[in-house]
Amino acid sequence: MTHPGEEVEDGPTSAREQQRRLVEEYYADLADAGGPRKPVAYMLVGGNLTEIVRSFGYEVVFPEIVALNCAIKHESLPNILHAEAQGYGLDVCGYVKNDLGLQELGGKTPFGRIPPPDLLVCSFSGCYVYIKWWEALAEKYGCPLFVLDVPYMRDERPRSEEIEYVVAQLNEFIALLERTTGRSFDRGELRRMLAHSRKAEEGWVRYLSAGRRRPSPIEAYFEAVFYMFPINVLRGTAAAADFYDTVDAEVTARVRAGEYPVPEEKVRLVVEGVPPYPSYRTFWDFFRRWGAVSVAATYPKVGGLFDQGFLHDPDRPLESIAEYSMAAYVNQSWGLRRRLIASYAKEFEADAVVIHGIKSCRSFTAGQGDLRDWLIHEQGIPTLYLESDHEDPRYFAPAQIKNRMDAFFESLDRRRSTVSLPMVGA
Amino acid sequence: MTLVAGVDIGSTTAKCALIEDGKVVGRSLNPVGVELVKDAERALALALSDSGRERRDVRAVTGTGYGRFKVTFGQFTVTEIGCHAKGAHFLFPATRVVLDIGGQDTKAIKVDANGVVIDFAMNDKCAAGTGRFLDVCAGALGYDVSEIGPLSLGARRPVKVTNTCTVFAESEVSSYVARGKDPKDILAGLYGSIVSRSLSLLQRVGVEPEVTFTGGVSRNEGMVRTLRARLGLPVNVSPLSQFVGAIGAALYGLERLEAVPA
Repeated sequence: MTHPGEEVEDGPTSAREQQRRLVEEYYADLADAGGPRKPVAYMLVGGNLTEIVRSFGYEVVFPEIVALNCAIKHESLPNILHAEAQGYGLDVCGYVKNDLGLQELGGKTPFGRIPPPDLLVCSFSGCYVYIKWWEALAEKYGCPLFVLDVPYMRDERPRSEEIEYVVAQLNEFIALLERTTGRSFDRGELRRMLAHSRKAEEGWVRYLSAGRRRPSPIEAYFEAVFYMFPINVLRGTAAAADFYDTVDAEVTARVRAGEYPVPEEKVRLVVEGVPPYPSYRTFWDFFRRWGAVSVAATYPKVGGLFDQGFLHDPDRPLESIAEYSMAAYVNQSWGLRRRLIASYAKEFEADAVVIHGIKSCRSFTAGQGDLRDWLIHEQGIPTLYLESDHEDPRYFAPAQIKNRMDAFFESLDRRRSTVSLPMVGA
Repeated sequence: MTLVAGVDIGSTTAKCALIEDGKVVGRSLNPVGVELVKDAERALALALSDSGRERRDVRAVTGTGYGRFKVTFGQFTVTEIGCHAKGAHFLFPATRVVLDIGGQDTKAIKVDANGVVIDFAMNDKCAAGTGRFLDVCAGALGYDVSEIGPLSLGARRPVKVTNTCTVFAESEVSSYVARGKDPKDILAGLYGSIVSRSLSLLQRVGVEPEVTFTGGVSRNEGMVRTLRARLGLPVNVSPLSQFVGAIGAALYGLERLEAVPA
């Protein structure tokens, strides 16, 4: 029997095979893109406007995803070091340094060459570093830069005046696209793309909801990262919409066959934070050896809080895009974020929360120390805080991280009044 | 009578404790080198020699500390966090918070009434505030770390020393020496610096009596006094405080033996 948690290394499932093929095709298409035939837009994942941009014929590059792809293939450090040699400091975000180093080194990645941008869309303005990143790219390439100013979410739902404010900017953006491409805005095409997005989003929510089952047939953090590619990169395409049908079928088959991410589910976790991509498999193994499975996680929501009802709607195209953009996970106030995490812990019957903070990103990480304390002291949920980085391998200290994790899982085990010490060599 | 051993392979020393009938009957402490398996074996051999027992009498060996996986002749492994909690509870049953300052890390551990870990916080990727910090700064003052414990007791005007970096702290100590500051005042400043860092970890888990201080640095009288003063609470320190991790490991092994039918 194979287990979903092992499939990454030991034999891909059909969904993983399909995901790999989609990644390869995407990067192959990018290698041919650029210039007037198929212009390229760079965009950020959070609150992105991919359907609008694609409806004007652009191919879309997400430098954050390119960066994490470099990191998981252990190729981020040369780019980071190159950026540091250019003068970017140690404290600058690893995504930023990977991309700027990569651009200077000719755009080469483990998956192929990334074309330079014809348009820069800063769709997440909640991070000041990101705005500066896009400005640096605009200066380098001399292409148009559009910054979407997204109001920070303090309430459960966006206010009407906030939606109007974002929609007004979307209309300005569409006017810019019409000017730069010479094409008229095709509302019908946008609606068709949004219908694909909606189908993909509903499929993604179904997949993530499967973590409610006991045992969980999915790994909502480590495995979900692979299945995030279509929803984040290919949203608005039929390929992304259909991909989640394959995932659905696979999860159903797992349940039927009794195949689970860990052979014996011992600990159910909610995981918060960005993964340490340079040490992804090592980190995952630290969980697996304790029979720990992520049943819910916040990171798979960075591309959209679809499970909270922020789905694209072909009948309300610009309004639903505005709502979606505001509901980007890192655009949520800490009050909303921590309530969401506590609700996941309750609804998914988790035993504990693991928080992985990253040195690079204050938007994601600042506040996680308070979150830890709140979960432990106010909610009574055992919580572990770990820290490294999502891009820079120099910040991942395996012995220290493993020691903390072992101690945490030992204490969870002890608190259940069982004695289950790992044998030597385990 | 069941004899069990705990072997704690830390960053600077290997400790072994032998427990029989609820008593520590043997112990050893020796520096670690690069051959941790041999260091672990030596620790057990020395503790057996100390107790007058034979290797064949030992029913279980449990490894702990960063080098716990090098206790290859043992049956079980447990992290030092769990072991310090258990060992502290064994020595002081009313312990609710453990502060362990070892060679290269500092841990604040909150425990329940049974000595089970509820929460913990550790220093992160930096040796400031650890035994190594004290070692380096003692060297800058011209002392061996084993000599400096009581020296600060006569301090009158403790200096201020950074608590963020061992290397910078060493430079600061050298600078104070050059300026003719009294070594007692410099040492008191160092202890204050380490205790400040420890307090922030203790506050992360929440301070409540009783507090038990473990690890090599707990052998330093000046540190103990400074910690008591800054906490405003009594602090338990056992003569066996350097062996608390090894004691906890031995007790875990005993528990495991009792849980599994022979």
